[in-house]
Amino acid sequence: MKKFLSLWILTLAFSAPISFGGVRHFTFLYEAPTSARGSAELENWVTWKRTTDPARFDQVDFRHEIEYGVTDRFQVSVYLADWFYEADSEHSGFAYSDSAIELIYNLTNPVDDPVGLSIYGELRAGDRLVELESKLIAQKNFGPLILAYNATLEAVWEGNDLIEREGEFSQALGASYEISPPISVGVELLHEFVFPEWRDKEKIRNFFVGPNVSYRSGNWFVTVTALAQATDTEGEPDFQARTIFGIGL
Amino acid sequence: MKQIGIFAAAIICLVDLSSCETPSFAPPPVTAELARTGARQHVEIATLREGRVLFVSRCIECHTLPAVSSHSAQEWPRLIDEMAGRANLKPTEREAVLAYILAVRTQ
Repeated sequence: MKKFLSLWILTLAFSAPISFGGVRHFTFLYEAPTSARGSAELENWVTWKRTTDPARFDQVDFRHEIEYGVTDRFQVSVYLADWFYEADSEHSGFAYSDSAIELIYNLTNPVDDPVGLSIYGELRAGDRLVELESKLIAQKNFGPLILAYNATLEAVWEGNDLIEREGEFSQALGASYEISPPISVGVELLHEFVFPEWRDKEKIRNFFVGPNVSYRSGNWFVTVTALAQATDTEGEPDFQARTIFGIGL
Repeated sequence: MKQIGIFAAAIICLVDLSSCETPSFAPPPVTAELARTGARQHVEIATLREGRVLFVSRCIECHTLPAVSSHSAQEWPRLIDEMAGRANLKPTEREAVLAYILAVRTQ
């Protein structure tokens, strides 16, 4: 089955004509436009996180995602697999995390309308994990400048019998400037409010900020963001870098 | 609290930027005058409208929208041919986008 899937992806990737789901200018934010009807794209995500407080710990997350434009306004994505590598002073290794389905519906256009808006829903399920995520995506294009804002609400159930619960609200803001047709550079800000057991006793607030760069050519793109933590939350990454490589199928 | 302040300031800047007298980055709408220009090129108003919708929605999936004036009438057919596959444009849609752009350029 795995072999057949890989063969199918490779055949699609190298067969013409190639349609493209769209370029990401950000990696920690989503943009309002959805994939064109009938277009498909394979995206590979790699996120490296380094935590030093209370102890040094590295984790690298991987995601393989297929996006498909059902209509010009409605996009479906399947996360084939989220998996990770982690390493601390005592052990290291790879593990499968989860798979997911993501739906995005575009409401307004970021060029023509005062603000481009899309709504987003995601259901994620894995080994002792269920997660629901909803998002409001806002974007405005000013010529070569793209400004984007995401407000996200997440509900997580995890652990044995899914008894551990957590809620999270996050907001993200990004700016990307197209310095030439294939290259954009910008900045991303991520602000998280974490609610263990849906309570706010610990007042966990994380704030990350950092630059991004995006390059596109032919039917592929690559976007990289590096974020540093501006707060001092124990157990949260001091630094995280995400790369998304996308190829039209 | 400081982070909320930074976010609030950034959003105020964003709202401010969109409300002040910045030039419009949206391509020209299909007016009666543009329809007359299109008619002289044997293009129907419905085609111009479809071309504009596709231009504004499909092109921004990969890059920001170029000004119609940024390329010559001779350059646009080649550019649209190059992009049509990536934007998943059918031949009729490709023609509609080109017709709209050329009508705007001629105007």
